[in-house]
Amino acid sequence: MSEKELGQKWDRCLADCAVKFGTGLGLGIVFSVVFFKRRTWPIVFGTGLGLGMAYSNCQNDLRSRYVLHSKYFSFEQK
Amino acid sequence: MAAKILPVVKFATKVTIAGGALYVAYDSGLLGDSKEGSVTLGRAKAAIPPAVEEWMKYFGFELPATPKIEFSPLDAWNSGVQKSIHALSVTPSTVSDYTKQGLQYVKDLTK
Repeated sequence: MSEKELGQKWDRCLADCAVKFGTGLGLGIVFSVVFFKRRTWPIVFGTGLGLGMAYSNCQNDLRSRYVLHSKYFSFEQK
Repeated sequence: MAAKILPVVKFATKVTIAGGALYVAYDSGLLGDSKEGSVTLGRAKAAIPPAVEEWMKYFGFELPATPKIEFSPLDAWNSGVQKSIHALSVTPSTVSDYTKQGLQYVKDLTK
């Protein structure tokens, strides 16, 4: 991975983190107000979900260069 | 009869609102890949000024123009990293210089 590509990936990671944090927060607030009588835990849960999704996306994006694409064959002992 | 149906209607409304919010988030690509997220972010950024203008016309007052901040967090962070690492790299020679100067000063005092 070149430096430029790596920098772009990190930029995408940070932007994605911000977007997912906001989305998780927003959805957590909606669910908290609508279903859970304005308790705090749905908001925290939603934010956590968003951050987790962002982390997972980042991980896949940074690893995608080194993933081996191959076919699996199964052999039978005769 | 209305009293019996009301809780069901309330619950149905709540499910509609929450489900609608979830669907909007899914449909606009906010829950997807990082590329889709940045696309949505760009679209939102482009859509904000016209929306703000519409609201201003509707309410009939002018928001003060947002001041242009010339601060770039990226440049600040990069320059901070460079300065710290440079300081770390010159620490041994600087420390030895100061030690020598200090020893020289003490020697001069005892002469």
